[in-house]
Amino acid sequence: MLAFALRRVLTLLPLLLLVSVVFFAMLRLGRGDPALDYLRLSQIPPTEAALALVRQQLGLDRSLPAQYLSWLADAVRLDFGTSWATQRPVLEDILQALPATLQLAGAAMALVLLLGLPLGLLAALYRDRWPDHLTRALAFLGVSLPNFWLGFLLVLLFSVQLGWLPAMGREGPASLILPAIATATVSLCVTLRLMRASVLGVLGERHLVFARARGLPERGVIARHVLPNALIPPLTTLGLHLGELLGGAMVVEMVFAWPGLGRYALLAIGNRDFPALQGFVLAMTAVFVLCNLLVDLAYAWLDPRIRLGAKAA
Amino acid sequence: MLRRSLLGAATLAWTLPRVSRAAAPDSLVFSWPSNAGPLDPHGYGPNQMYAQAMLYEPLVRYGASGTIEPCLATRWALDESGRAWTFTLRPGVRFSDGTAFDAAAAKANIDILLRHRERHGWLELMSRIEAAEAPDPATLRLRLDQPYDPALFDLSLVRPLRFASPAVLLPGGSVSAPIGTGPWRLAESRRGERDVFLRREDYWGEKPALRQVVVKVVGDANTRALALEAGEIDLVYGADQLDADTFRRFAADARFTTAISPPMATRMLAINSGRAATDDLAVRRAIQQGIDRDALARHVLQGTEPAATSLFAPGMSKAAPGLMTLPFDPMAAVTVLEQAGWQLPPGGRVRQKQGAVLALDLCFSGGDALQKALAEAIQSDLGRIGIAARLLGADAATLQARQRSGDFGLVFTETWGPPYDPHAFLGAMRAPSHADWQAQRGLPMKAAIDRRITALLAATNATAREADEQWVLTTLHEQAVYFPISFLTNKQVHRKGLGEVPFGGTFDEIPFHHIRRG
Repeated sequence: MLAFALRRVLTLLPLLLLVSVVFFAMLRLGRGDPALDYLRLSQIPPTEAALALVRQQLGLDRSLPAQYLSWLADAVRLDFGTSWATQRPVLEDILQALPATLQLAGAAMALVLLLGLPLGLLAALYRDRWPDHLTRALAFLGVSLPNFWLGFLLVLLFSVQLGWLPAMGREGPASLILPAIATATVSLCVTLRLMRASVLGVLGERHLVFARARGLPERGVIARHVLPNALIPPLTTLGLHLGELLGGAMVVEMVFAWPGLGRYALLAIGNRDFPALQGFVLAMTAVFVLCNLLVDLAYAWLDPRIRLGAKAA
Repeated sequence: MLRRSLLGAATLAWTLPRVSRAAAPDSLVFSWPSNAGPLDPHGYGPNQMYAQAMLYEPLVRYGASGTIEPCLATRWALDESGRAWTFTLRPGVRFSDGTAFDAAAAKANIDILLRHRERHGWLELMSRIEAAEAPDPATLRLRLDQPYDPALFDLSLVRPLRFASPAVLLPGGSVSAPIGTGPWRLAESRRGERDVFLRREDYWGEKPALRQVVVKVVGDANTRALALEAGEIDLVYGADQLDADTFRRFAADARFTTAISPPMATRMLAINSGRAATDDLAVRRAIQQGIDRDALARHVLQGTEPAATSLFAPGMSKAAPGLMTLPFDPMAAVTVLEQAGWQLPPGGRVRQKQGAVLALDLCFSGGDALQKALAEAIQSDLGRIGIAARLLGADAATLQARQRSGDFGLVFTETWGPPYDPHAFLGAMRAPSHADWQAQRGLPMKAAIDRRITALLAATNATAREADEQWVLTTLHEQAVYFPISFLTNKQVHRKGLGEVPFGGTFDEIPFHHIRRG
């Protein structure tokens, strides 16, 4: 298991290098003049003298490969440059914003697990009865709602109309509830449907007949024989949902004025803040790969065939 | 059982009390799209100007009535050569760290600015100042290399000519801490979340009624509106903090007070005289009468900005009171075009002249929904008089690049508002990096325009200055290189309980010190 984890972590390095090359090229080959962007973000009128000074200061007067190698040399020392918009080191900005995003994505993931899986189980166990109809209707509605729109609806109801929860900001646990719901809803509904289908599939298997014939109580059958088998398909999709949650958090963070990395990235995109964007893409690649690694480890732990297969290999 | 539990939970939830989010009686919660920044009085982005204005003060202030008023200087005088300004400094002023504000402190700030003069090259006064002198603690003298009449207006700007405590000035030109002489001090800054400003109890002037201003970071206009409705912020203030629809919705809601400031600057189109087909004066003149600006103000801007009647907002320029915009008259516009040889081909809808088609690029900021709506309405108006306007939405950087290179037919632009209008705005017309220079570059008298602007900025004689300004503005008016659309305004929305919120004299300063609750 340890070797498996180490191998996955080591694959991260060439992946980060590849991502950095591709993204650096994409940014530089786009339209526009980075020096002009820098002056615009610094709110300095773009005179010819100012442009020349900035090109020299930022090294924009050098060739693209030279610029990339210089950036890379700094990046391996964890110096990702200075954001043109905030004028602070990019790494400092990212480390400051990352916990808020992880908190939001983590809370959303908790909702997916704590609500999606039990509701899926409930829908399957009450198949074609009202709890099943209700959860299926809610799931259909949930996957159809864009998260930013759902966010505004939640604020309108719970903050403006009822006054129960904060409309924005990150001040106390109460402020996490609405953004987490808005972030989680689509993944939650997909997980619910998947769990329902998975449980229904397992319920039809023969070994359950033998379990019941052995006199096991129904709760025991579900806990020991249905759940472990039914959990594998939803769990394998959690890695995909992580990407969805982190991506969804970007928009939701803007809606709820949540001080996370998503909002930082959206502002950087709007501002064409190259150093911030490069740092963000690398950070998110690392987070995404590491989270997928955790999911794979959980998957291997849950399914002995994967563990044993890995050992045999 | 399950059904009963769900019903019970729903009933219990409905009876929960509303969370009280009422602000303290001497506190105001405001919102802004980003943090205040490092708050360096001499720095630009990411320093936010409203916050710089809270902490740092100028020698002279631009008053709400448009006049220059005393601030850190109580008196000032210009010598006969027009090249030396002498300021008598206000006694008893201290920075928030306790350091006295005197001529040495002021000189230290200006010396730092002069050492990094290249950063401030956009401001004419910074190019004119040769040296700052402190003959005694109460006297500051600024020596210029040549006369510069609008010096006091440049000194009143929010940046860069304001003063930090000498104890925090760093040789690199920044500051180690935000310490100014203003009525507020920064008490807390949480990145991406909020900044908190506290009233200075030892402030030299009239102390603010509020003890604390909390500025929450809210980037999205819809979120800002919902937060105001939910009672989480008290005030929305600014030129573009809410869209016109939302502003109108609050105006119709009895729980809120809304207000629109008097005109402050001008939203307009720059018309490129250096590029076909707008290099033809007849086309530029037809555009003046072919676009219905009243309809734009009424339907697109929804009454939040009045239709423009001149290049500069009323009161900004004494030299051009008679230079009014032409009324919407599409028939007159058609006549101008036809007299100039632009004819509609049989069955066609776009005019032509000697094989050339009357088409132009109308460039706007793609992320700006208001500019897009205006552009679409203008395209429609121009289409009716036989001008094909191709809409080009672009991101801010691409749009700026187009403005710099003159790659536009029509492009949205704005005057800068007080205290920049008209002198600093006219001054910038001489820089090729500005859309204004590019728009004017095809005019046969462009060199004369630049020369007269340079002369009016250096004039020591008011009559000569006004004559030059009159000539420049009349020429621009006759050459039709601008289409003024509307006058930009500041807007504010707050709950009824806040009391009166006055408007500041400029876009960049929010008069927090004059706001009181109830």
